Amino acid sequence: MDESENSMDKQIDDNDGTKPEKMFTLKKWNAVAMWSWDVECDICAICRVQVMDACLRCQAENKRDVMGRQDCVVVWGECNHSFHHCCMSLWVKQNNRCPLCQQEWSIQRMGK
Amino acid sequence: MLKGKGQRSFEEVWPDMRIIVLKLLKQETVSQVEWQDLFYGVHLVCLWDEKGAAKIYDCLRNDVVEFIAHAQLKVQSQRGEHALLTTYIIEWRKFFTQSSYLPLPFRQLEHVFQSKTSSSSSGCSASTSASSSSTSAASTSAAAAAAGTSSATASSSSSGSKKNPTEDSIVRKLMLDSWNEHIFKDIKDRLQESAMKIVHAERNGDAYDAQLVIGVRESYVNLCSNPEDKLQIYRENFEAAYLKATTAFYRLKATEQQQANGVLAFMKYADAKLREEEARAKRYLEPSSYAVLAQTCVKVLVGDHMNTIIAECAPLIKEYETDRLNLMFRLLDRVPNGVDPMLRDLENHIVSAGLADMLSASEIITQDSEKYVERLLELFKKFSALVKNAFNDDPRFLTARDKAFKTVVNDTSVFKLELPTGIQNRGVKYTAPESKCPELLANYCDMLLRRTPLSKRLTSEQIDARLRDVLLVLKYVNNKDVFMRYHKVHLTRRLILGTSADSEKEEDIVEWLREVGMPADYVNRLARMFQDIKVSEDLNTQFRNSTGRHDAINIKILNAGAWARCSERVSVSLPLELEDYIPDVEEFYKKKHSGRKLQWYHHMSNGTITFVNNFGRYDLDVTTFQMAVLFAWNQRQHDKISYENLRLATELPDPELRRTLWSLVAFPKLKKQILLMEPNCPSPKDFTENTLFYVNQEFAVVKNGKSQRRGKLNLIGRLQLSTERSIQEDNQSIVQLRILRVQEAIIKIMKMRKRMNNATLQAELIDILKNMFLPSKKMIKEQLEWLIEHKYMRRDDDDINTFIYMA
Repeated sequence: MDESENSMDKQIDDNDGTKPEKMFTLKKWNAVAMWSWDVECDICAICRVQVMDACLRCQAENKRDVMGRQDCVVVWGECNHSFHHCCMSLWVKQNNRCPLCQQEWSIQRMGK
Repeated sequence: MLKGKGQRSFEEVWPDMRIIVLKLLKQETVSQVEWQDLFYGVHLVCLWDEKGAAKIYDCLRNDVVEFIAHAQLKVQSQRGEHALLTTYIIEWRKFFTQSSYLPLPFRQLEHVFQSKTSSSSSGCSASTSASSSSTSAASTSAAAAAAGTSSATASSSSSGSKKNPTEDSIVRKLMLDSWNEHIFKDIKDRLQESAMKIVHAERNGDAYDAQLVIGVRESYVNLCSNPEDKLQIYRENFEAAYLKATTAFYRLKATEQQQANGVLAFMKYADAKLREEEARAKRYLEPSSYAVLAQTCVKVLVGDHMNTIIAECAPLIKEYETDRLNLMFRLLDRVPNGVDPMLRDLENHIVSAGLADMLSASEIITQDSEKYVERLLELFKKFSALVKNAFNDDPRFLTARDKAFKTVVNDTSVFKLELPTGIQNRGVKYTAPESKCPELLANYCDMLLRRTPLSKRLTSEQIDARLRDVLLVLKYVNNKDVFMRYHKVHLTRRLILGTSADSEKEEDIVEWLREVGMPADYVNRLARMFQDIKVSEDLNTQFRNSTGRHDAINIKILNAGAWARCSERVSVSLPLELEDYIPDVEEFYKKKHSGRKLQWYHHMSNGTITFVNNFGRYDLDVTTFQMAVLFAWNQRQHDKISYENLRLATELPDPELRRTLWSLVAFPKLKKQILLMEPNCPSPKDFTENTLFYVNQEFAVVKNGKSQRRGKLNLIGRLQLSTERSIQEDNQSIVQLRILRVQEAIIKIMKMRKRMNNATLQAELIDILKNMFLPSKKMIKEQLEWLIEHKYMRRDDDDINTFIYMA
């Protein structure tokens, strides 16, 4: 903290006299953003839970990865429908079609 | 040893036997030979004389009666009560002692009488006599041994006779019945009267002889020959007389005492007397009578004076007279339902005193959540101490206290939170007021958990204790969902601004909330926020390591599911200094993750800027909105900029711009403001398009009355997490969530029960929901109707109050 202040002072001192110093200068910015899965429908059609939350099964078992994060990611099919990966991997065991559009299910990409 | 063998008939044997019998009755010395002869005589008569047994019995009875008549004469002749009792007791003891010996030789009679009643056929008489002879022989030797030891000490009688079969023998019955009939019936009234007079004397503190009363009681107890109910005579006479005397005595005394010394002194008197009578009963009564006597005493000493005693209860509670209340509690607790009026008084007092206290301090406590919570806790402690000291923490009083606390906490007369009751046609039709208590509790929690003057002043233990206190109050709050909502908002603010005083405590309280039964999904959401903020910290370190030029920026990228509510984003045109960072961050994030989209929450972000003016140089902590506004002056330092132009520059929505500007022209408790305005406006609502704003070149941080050239200042205040619109949405979403919870709970119950009537359904529903909120009758009814309409359930055709699950 002290260091940065000193360096700032020096900078300003250097600038002194050359051109008028700005009245307000940025010192620190704490930016806040929220991430969410880039999905068309924010509810998983299989477990009826928001895709941002862990699926029902994971919530009940309270699954966590090493980092303490919930490890319940989203998966997108070629049809662009998205579900919890946990839910879908159970679903395809019985029926390898998208539950929403009945197309053959193949994974387009997975959330990370 | 034996007299002539010819003497076998009754007439021959009896005269000799009779002499021995009379000797026994009179407690004269009987030699061993005589004693044995008596056995033998009885045996002979029973064996040889068919009617011998009956004859013996008759003669024996005559002799006993005669003896008793003699004793009666002796007793009756006594004039004084004392003498009467003494004589009676002496005579009775003598007689009673003999009643355990005299029957022994006549055991044979029993067999004879028994066989006469049981076996009428003559054929088996031989076997009967044979068996009876053998038993009588055995008993002869036993009885002889007994007589040898006991004739010396006649008085120590009862111990042997207790287990002895003589207890049930007919001769003993004959003796006792005769005594009862000839002596007792005549004088029992006098006896009882005399005994009661002694008790009366004792009660008055005069000299008395307790032994006499005890003696009389013993005679009553032993006299009874009814084997089914040994205490019959005692209970019907002695006990009844004792109870009557007690009642009469105290009926008089109690009224006297109460009139002479007042109710309070009377309670002490009653308490002392109850204990005294309990002790007395142990002396004079059989154990079976203790309870009856206690009841009688309680009735005459307490029960009959209930109303006068209870009339004192409310004033005593008001005065916190714990000792007297404790006394009253002990007295009334003996009467069935006696404490009920006390419970009512206590509850009324707590409610009225609590509300009066709140109302008198309403000016302060509606503004200051610390004062409010502390005041509330003080009240609770006071009343809890009262319940502890006066009522020994009796569960009934604890319940009454809790009920009263609930009323105080949820009362809406001091302040209220307006919640819309229903969302119909998008318009809020009317509102149901709710106590603001949960909101204030959450605020207080925030003050303890955030770095504030309050939390700095207190030690860690003190903060813990206070947080526990908050949870205690929370227990009484009906609408815990409101608390959780506010708590979450405060937590969000603390985590985003990094203003938590102690991050361990933050996580502790989440666990405590779980322990006190907050719904798991609320608590889990909080726990997720902690995890998420840690994940975000790691990400920030990685980000800062990845590029060299970003030491002025920290990023928090959070899980929208855990933190955000959808409608909150506010757009703003960022100053270039900030805007430059955005693509870098997004680029970095895209490399780390896939399938995610980012949304910037600038109303949550904040930072530090350096402000230089003519006077000095200052570090200001500001929100990003404040930054956006202030940076507008960088191009034209001394210009006055109109509201309209600022709006164009920042692109902030009107309410947000007004609020932001107001925080710069009129920041609370600031001697010199950063911005000045022209013309002066009393409130943000009065800004017009043409209101002009300009930077205060004379701004300085003022400390101890002196303007400082350098300094730090926090202008963030309370980070606005919600826009004005979203506050309203907030309250609506509380209601919306409640509606869903009610529906969910009804379905849960109906699915299990299938069929249920209205009352039980409501009870179970409240039980399920009470940890979140207390559903109003109206809400329940509306949701029931909704569920019926949507065919989740239906009403029974025959009974409109019964519901049937359908789905």
